[in-house]
Order: sequence, then C-alpha cells, then structure tokens
Amino acid sequence: MTTTNAPPVQVSDEMAQIRARARRRLLVGRAFTYLVGIVLALWVLIPIWLIASMALTTPETVRSYPKSVLPFITFSFDTMQFFLQSRGIVPGLINSVVVAVITLVLSTLIAAPAGYAISRYIFRGRDAFRLSILAVRAFPVVILSIPLAVTFINLGIFDQVYSLALMHTALTLPTTILVISSVFASIPYELEEAAQVFGCTPVQAFRRVVLPLVLPGIAASAIFTFVMSWNEVFAATVLTVQNRTLPAQVLVSLRQSPEPYKFAGGFFMLLPSVIFILFIRKYLFNMWGQISK
Amino acid sequence: MSDIKIENVTKRFGNFVAVNDVSLIVADHEFVVLLGPSGCGKTTLLRAIAGLGMADEGRISIGGKDVTYLPPRERRISMVFQSYAIFPHMNVFDNIAFGLKMQKLDKPEIEKRVRRAAELLHIEAMLDRYPSKMSGGQRQRVAVARAIAMQSQVLLMDEPLSNLDALLRLEMRAELKRLLAELGATTIYVTHDQIEAMSMGDRIAVMRDGVLEQVDHPTTIYDYPANQFIGGFIGTPPMNFLEGQVQRENGRTVVRIGDFAVTPQPVMQPLLAQYDGKPIVLGIRAENMETLSAPADDALKAQVLVVEPLGSQNLLTAVFGTHRMKVSTHPSFATHADADVWLRFPVDNIRWIDPDTKQALYPA
Amino acid sequence: MTNESIVRTKTRRLKIQWAPYVLILPSLIYLATFFAWPMVRAIRLAVWDEGALLTLREEAATRGQSAGALPQGASIALLDRQSIIAEPGEPVGGEVLTETWFRVQGNDSNGNPVEGWSPESRVRVRATDDEGAPTGGSIRPKLGAAADPLTSLYAEPNENSAVTGKLNSGATVVIQEQADLEVWFLIEGQRDGKTVTGWAPSRMLQIYGDGVSGRIDTGDTGQFTLTYIQRMLNDRFFRPALSTTLLLMVIIIPVQFFLAIIMALVIQARLKFNTLFLAIFAIPLAASDLAVGIVWYSIFTQSGYLNSVLQALGLLSSPVAYLTADTRHWIIVAIWLAEVWRATAIVMVIVVSGLQAISQEVLEAAEVFGANLWQRVRHVILPLLKPSLQVALILRTILALQVFAVVIALSGGEVVTVLANETYRQYYTLRNMNVAAAYAGFILLISMFSAVIYLRMVRSQEEANP
Repeated sequence: MTTTNAPPVQVSDEMAQIRARARRRLLVGRAFTYLVGIVLALWVLIPIWLIASMALTTPETVRSYPKSVLPFITFSFDTMQFFLQSRGIVPGLINSVVVAVITLVLSTLIAAPAGYAISRYIFRGRDAFRLSILAVRAFPVVILSIPLAVTFINLGIFDQVYSLALMHTALTLPTTILVISSVFASIPYELEEAAQVFGCTPVQAFRRVVLPLVLPGIAASAIFTFVMSWNEVFAATVLTVQNRTLPAQVLVSLRQSPEPYKFAGGFFMLLPSVIFILFIRKYLFNMWGQISK
Repeated sequence: MSDIKIENVTKRFGNFVAVNDVSLIVADHEFVVLLGPSGCGKTTLLRAIAGLGMADEGRISIGGKDVTYLPPRERRISMVFQSYAIFPHMNVFDNIAFGLKMQKLDKPEIEKRVRRAAELLHIEAMLDRYPSKMSGGQRQRVAVARAIAMQSQVLLMDEPLSNLDALLRLEMRAELKRLLAELGATTIYVTHDQIEAMSMGDRIAVMRDGVLEQVDHPTTIYDYPANQFIGGFIGTPPMNFLEGQVQRENGRTVVRIGDFAVTPQPVMQPLLAQYDGKPIVLGIRAENMETLSAPADDALKAQVLVVEPLGSQNLLTAVFGTHRMKVSTHPSFATHADADVWLRFPVDNIRWIDPDTKQALYPA
Repeated sequence: MTNESIVRTKTRRLKIQWAPYVLILPSLIYLATFFAWPMVRAIRLAVWDEGALLTLREEAATRGQSAGALPQGASIALLDRQSIIAEPGEPVGGEVLTETWFRVQGNDSNGNPVEGWSPESRVRVRATDDEGAPTGGSIRPKLGAAADPLTSLYAEPNENSAVTGKLNSGATVVIQEQADLEVWFLIEGQRDGKTVTGWAPSRMLQIYGDGVSGRIDTGDTGQFTLTYIQRMLNDRFFRPALSTTLLLMVIIIPVQFFLAIIMALVIQARLKFNTLFLAIFAIPLAASDLAVGIVWYSIFTQSGYLNSVLQALGLLSSPVAYLTADTRHWIIVAIWLAEVWRATAIVMVIVVSGLQAISQEVLEAAEVFGANLWQRVRHVILPLLKPSLQVALILRTILALQVFAVVIALSGGEVVTVLANETYRQYYTLRNMNVAAAYAGFILLISMFSAVIYLRMVRSQEEANP
C-alpha cells in the first residue's frame, strides 16, 4: 500500500493556473514589500546623510546655496572644529558626558535590585509598584522640571551637574526597572536553585549563574540610559545655567548661532546616540516590548 | 462524497525532503491515522492536505475535486491544531462560531450549531468564558467543538491529545473516538503515539522519513508489520528481534540461534530456503512467547535480568547470548532476577525479516 | 467528566518576606522624591500664593498671637513703633528698618555706676576699635523742654523692660555690646470691610514718605489663588500655544501610527536583510529632539536642501523662505515632518512586539476556518494588537504634548509656540515660576485627560463588540 512506480500524477489545469497565480502574487508581494521597506529606510537615512554632509564640510560650503551632499562637496573637519571651539561647547560636552555617566550608574544601581525583586518575588504590592512605574513614565518632564528647579535653588544645588544627573536618573529609572526586570525574568529561577543545590549560597548562585547571563541585557539598558540622558533637552535647559550640558548649550544659543554651528551641533549630538543604538539594537525589542504592559 | 486522494505528493524544504512521493486514499467516512516518529513528515503531509504549506509535486483531491493549490478556506475542511490555536480575544461561543461566521450563516443557525457542538464536548456551561481562564483540557475541547461545528465533510487533526496529561489523554481518546464515529466525517488524525493510533483508527498509515511504510488495519499492522521498523515501533513493549542463521537440515529449512533451532511454518519454508547459509532476523512479540521454568527440547534457555511486575503481567528482561528480549508472562509465573527461564517460540507468531532490506517476509 | 483544576504553570518559592521590599526601597524613595513630591510642589506653585496675607500680631513679637491678617498690597496706617531683636532670617522684600541699641555703662547723677541698654538715638558714638565697633560714647542731650532730661537705661533692648538707671545728657559711657533690632509697627488696615489692627515687622511693609502710612509689601501666609492660572489663560501666547500643540497632535499622531504599522508589517514579512531594516527604522529612537529639529532645519531653511532640490529640478526659480513669521503654515509642515520622522520609531517598536506576540497557528486556524486576508486582519490581528496600540497611543499623546526642542529649532519659539515652550519662556525669560508651573500643570491635566479618554474609548468598544 505504499508508493507505486507509475509516472507521477499531474495536477489539473485549474490547479496549475491557481498555483502559478499564487506564485506570481507572492513574488509581486515580496517585491512590493522590499520596495516599501527601501523607501522607508531611505526616508530615515537621507536626513542623516544631509546633516552629516553639512557637518563634515567647510563653513563656506555650509553657507553656500544651493546645497549639495557628500561626496559632491569638499570634505572637511572645519565646521566641526569651529563648533567644538565655540564658547561653551567643550565644557558642555564634558558636562553632558558626566551627567550621562552619573545617570547611567545611579539609574542602573537603583533599578537593578528593584528589577530583580519584581521578576523573582511575588509580594504584596508588586502589581501596585509595577503600575506606578508605568504611570510615572507617562509624567511630562515639564511638570517635574519647574518645581525641581525651584527646590534645587532653595537647596543651593541648582546648576550643578550632579543635580541634573539626579533628575535624569529619575526620568530614566522607570524604563530601566522594567527592562532589567524582564532581563531577569528571562533567566529561569531553576538555575539559581540548581546552583544552590550544588553548594552555592544564594548570593554565590546569583553571582556565578545569573550575573553573567544578565550582564549583556543590563549593559544594553545602561547604554540606553546613557543615550537618553545625553539627548535630554528640556530639564537640562531648565536646570543648568553656567554648567550647561551640550543640548542645553546648543538650544540656548540657537537663535544667534550661525548655520555651521547649528549643523555641526546637530550632527554631533546625533552621532554618538545613533552609534550606540546600532550596537544594542538586538535588545531594543525586549526592552520596548516589555514596556507595553 | 468526500474521500481524500493523495497522489505522489512530495514536499521539500530546501534540500530536505519532508514528504517523499506519498500516495494514500482515504475513503469517505473513513478514519485514518498518520502515525510515525517525530520528523517523519506526517504533520507536513497533513498541512499540505489542509493548504498550509503547499505540496511541491503530486496531487491532492477531496471528493474528486483537485484542491492541491487551493487556499485553505476554499477546501471546506475543519482542523484541530496541536496547540489548539484558540482565539485568545474571543470567548468560547465566538471561538466555536468563528468558521460559521466566516461562512455568513444566519444567527439562529450559528447559535444552534454552536450549542450542539458545545454540548457534544460538554462545555455548554462555559460559552461566555475566555481562553485565559480555562485549563488546557477545556481549551482542547473548544478547539474540537470549533472544528465539528463546521459540519465539514473532512476533518484534520494534528496531535490534538499530545498536550494533555496522561489521565486526561486516556479519557479524551475514548470520548473523541465515540464522537467522531457519530459524526462520520472523513478524518485524518496525526499522532506519534502508537497506542492512540491503534485505539482510534480504522486504518493506520505509518510514515518514516517522509515515506509511507505501511497502510493497514491496526490489528494487521500489529500482527503483520511490513518491516522491522514498524514491528519495533508498534506495540508496547516493541517486538523482539533475534539474529539467526538459516540452514538446511534433514530436508527442512531451520533457523539456528546459537544452539537452539527453530523450524519455520511449512508455508514459510520455500521463502526461507532462499536464505540458506545466510543470516535472517526473527521477530516475536513479548506476549507471544511461552515461558517454562524447566528445560524443554523446543525451548530456548535464557537468563532473567529484570522482573517488572506490571500488575496485569510480569515483564521479564531476558538475555540469551548477545540477545536481549522482553518477555511477557502471567503474574503467577514464578521467577526472579538471575533465574533461568526457557522460552518456546510458537512458529505461527514468528515474523521473518530480511536482514538487509529490513522488510518482513510473507507468503505471496 | 473529572473536575479539572486550573494548573499553575509556575510556582515561585516565596522567600523571606523582607527581601523584595528592601530591594525596591531605593527606587520607591527615588520615585517619591522625584515624581510625587515635585508634582505636588508644582501644583502648589500654580495655585498657592505664598505671600498673600500678612499675619498681624497682638504684640511686637514674631511668635505672638495672631490679631488678624491683611492682604498683600493693602494700605495701612502706622500707629506706633517698637524695636525688637531681629529674627535671623532673610529680609523679605520691603525695607527692613533697624534700630541699633547699645549696652552702656556709665555713672549716673549720683555717681553710681549703672548699666543698661539704650537706643542709638540716645547714645552718640565717640570711640571705635580697630574693626569699627563702637567702644565708647556719650549720652545725647534731649530736645524739647517737656521731656525728661535724663536718659533711661533698660534691662533689655526694649523700652518696655525695666529701667535699670538713668544718665544725664552728656554722660560718658562705655559701650559694651551692640544689638541690631528690627522695627515693628502697629498698623491698621481694612480686610473684607473690617478693620484689622496689629503689629507687623517693618520688612514686610513699605513705609511712605510721610511716615504715617504705607502698604503691605509681602505676606507670610499662603492662600489658594487662581491668579496664576488666570494669568496663564490670559497670556497672549496661551491660546496660540494650545491650538498649535493640539493641531500638531492631530496631524502627527495618526500619520505616525499608519507609518509605524507599515514599518512593522515590513519587518514581519521577514525578508532578507530584515535585521538591517529593523536597525535603520529604529535609528530615530536614539535621536535627540533638538538634533532632529536641526536636521530638518537644514532642509527647510532658506538656503537649505528643500530649496536646493526644488531649484535643481527646475520647479523653483529662487529660494523660498519657509521658516519666517509670514509662513506659519510652512513651519507647521516642517515641524510635522520632523516629528513624524523622529517619533514614529517609538510606535513601531511597540507594534512590532505586539505583532510578534500573535501566534502563527492562530492565524492559520483563522485561515482554515474561512477567513481571507482582510478578515484575518479585522477579526484576529487588529483585536490582538489593540492593547499594544492603546499603550502606544497613550504614550505618544503624552509625549506629543511635550514637544519642545523641535519647535524651537525650526521657529525660534516666537513665531510658532507650543505649551512646553511657553512653560519654558515663563520660567526662563519671565522668571515667573508660578505661571510656568501653571502651564506645566495644564500639560499634565491634558495628558491625564487624554489617557482617560483613550482608556474609556477602548473599554466602551469592548462592550459594544461582544
């Protein structure tokens, strides 16, 4: 009752037609999807190319009209140099880095235990805690910055990088907690239990088994926190006067600044963020996916 | 008429041939089980019949109509998926009613059919419940109800019981068999569980590595497996296989296993004579051997390694030379580990297998 | 049929109860400090007038019993004055009138040494030490025949305290100590038609030149007020900012959802280079909104790329100015493009993860049971995607209300303004914390309002479609 040695059967003509039609439709659909994808990708990439062109050329080319793009214009670091040498830029850069690093460290340190607690323990108030984290993510930064500015002035810590870092930590904390908790949740608790059975204390089990597995995810979230702090504009502008971060400095001098300055500034702010995100793109989906309740 | 004709169907994934030139006819109202180990291609074949993953070669016809490349919804079939595939955002009623809604039946008719299907599966009390609030067993019933509410001529089932726990599986097997017999739809049922296959099917189609090995009634497959694989796959415990030498003695063909000689049935003699001087494989089921606690001329001596008291039988693991066999005995047969036991092989129950082709030898 | 119990797929051993609470404690503290408290503070700033009333006292003492209150700015008549030791505190507004008292030691008319306090009006300083502190002086003569020719010395730097002795005019004294006292006035004013009388420190008052009238300069007690909110509502930029913000929301968000769904579908199609597409689509996630504003500025500025391309294509003969005060609509278009470019990725990521959660078998089952592509989308994909879309919508709306840097980059914040920009302007340029807080509170209000509306809308939809 198995295979016969007769010549293989052919499908009816109707079926053959249907199959051919389905195949064509599939190919057309594929091609169309590729097309749409490429158009959208260009939509994202072209503006970046434009600003890069403006930033990596001479200031004269920047001021010229009509504008052209690399590689049709002279490549030069002059504009960037001009920007970096402008008043307040290098200090602003340093401030930005310092604030972002402090934010990264502080946010990760505070969020990690909370993320671990949410993922590993079932305790009363867990859902309330998670809900409140989601709720504060939605708070406008505007309503937090103004009173904090007043408070910082009163406490005498206004216009300091560390006070801005405190603010940024608060802004990034909810996201970091959620991300880290999902990272921990992806490591089954049985691994820790197994390690404890084979002789580790709970802390050792955590250190030897869980930590190596979660470090990539935590590193990714730390980088994301850095980028968020680096980019933040409103609170930085409100909370710093002399010790401005880079975005605050650029924003405040935007009206009076010449175009080379503007374009170099925009490019300079854009570049590190883009590079970082490309590094951690694998983790982006876990992160943002988890954030949708 | 809704018979299913599968003719020379082949399906490839890149260079891997999942289904290799398979032909099978399922008669109208027949219940055929596609049985085989994981990766044998049974699910791929089922999906090709459903229209999810079209065949590369060959033809599939339902009720005489060529449906090989029709999209699933035009084939007028019903299917139960392995993971049930219940719509999580709809309650039980809407889940069962889904196919009927797609067919644009009117509301009273939908209502009637959904209730009937729910009654048949004993879930009429949970029609407004949501899947997240149901157990696996309950969800499985919803999946079956959704399929039978369609009243299709053809029903496909992809391992519907494999995600249930053992006790539930046992119950559902019997319930499902009864239900499907009442409904009378032409059914193809995929499983890797040979007990399920034996229990439920009118016929079993055994597949291995994309090839259909044997299609027969369950008892036929059990008693007369087409090859060594099927003999070892069907039946718990699997068939025992012993290597022997064919010799001619005193005008008869005998098979020697060590010192012990077995004389095949007269009807097998001519066939086995062709293997004179060559090895042959002897297959016999655990329950088909006679066990003696004292030596006999026509009995093979073996040592008992393990005695497993299973309640209705004792399962002995016995060794003879390099051969290890499972022997089923009545619980009253007294023996113990390391004891000697003598085994008689009733020749009617022996299956002879070509050691090279692994095919079983049967008189023409 | 046996009773089936719902099987828990995972049971976690509950550890010692204190562990989780200890772990979340730092975050709780942080969140309370930096979210809950500033929010409260902001609302307070917006509706609480810190110095609306000045509490008058029964006596000239800071912790004296209250004799009533007068509103800030009320006219007052000065009835009496007294000096008390100044409270260590920053002088708040007004003019602090101080009076210096000296503790002196001298000989009275009988030659006995007396010691006591006397105001500087009665003591003339004649000698000072190296640091300029007075060390010695003499008693000034009294003017007027009717006055007591002797100057009294008091036990405390307070005319109401006991007299410790009297000195003659011109007596030489040694100055031992100096105290700066603040002058308090007994004032009288009107509040709600009733006359209120009491003592108040001079630093809270403004004294007119005639010396007998003045007004309350600052208060010390807060009061609920709507003035800041009124000021915000009447601000000439309020309406434009509100309408611009809402307009941007309406034209930006639907487009973003549309684009995000298309991007997500491209990703779901799992073509070759899928991960590359994903990475590219996700790039704007990392972009600062200021940088994005500058990028699109480079396109829309008069000497920018848009004009360059149009002119190169021959569609323009000379560059068009898009970002001027006369071309508000073009600025809106530029902002629209910039925001769509920037924030679509956020929605896309949420939609993609929502799509991935839809099991393939469920879609196959839908197909087997008769649903064509459109029916699958309508009955299976969209309902299962709804929670993700809901979250994305709420998030995106709240973020859209805070659009700030892009607007500034493209219009300087003057021609086109949005609510966040007004908040900033009130804070930075006008230095008006209270109105800034009012704007911020307004943004919060609309955000919460929209979130509630979305949630309600979805819930009612669920009830409508059984």
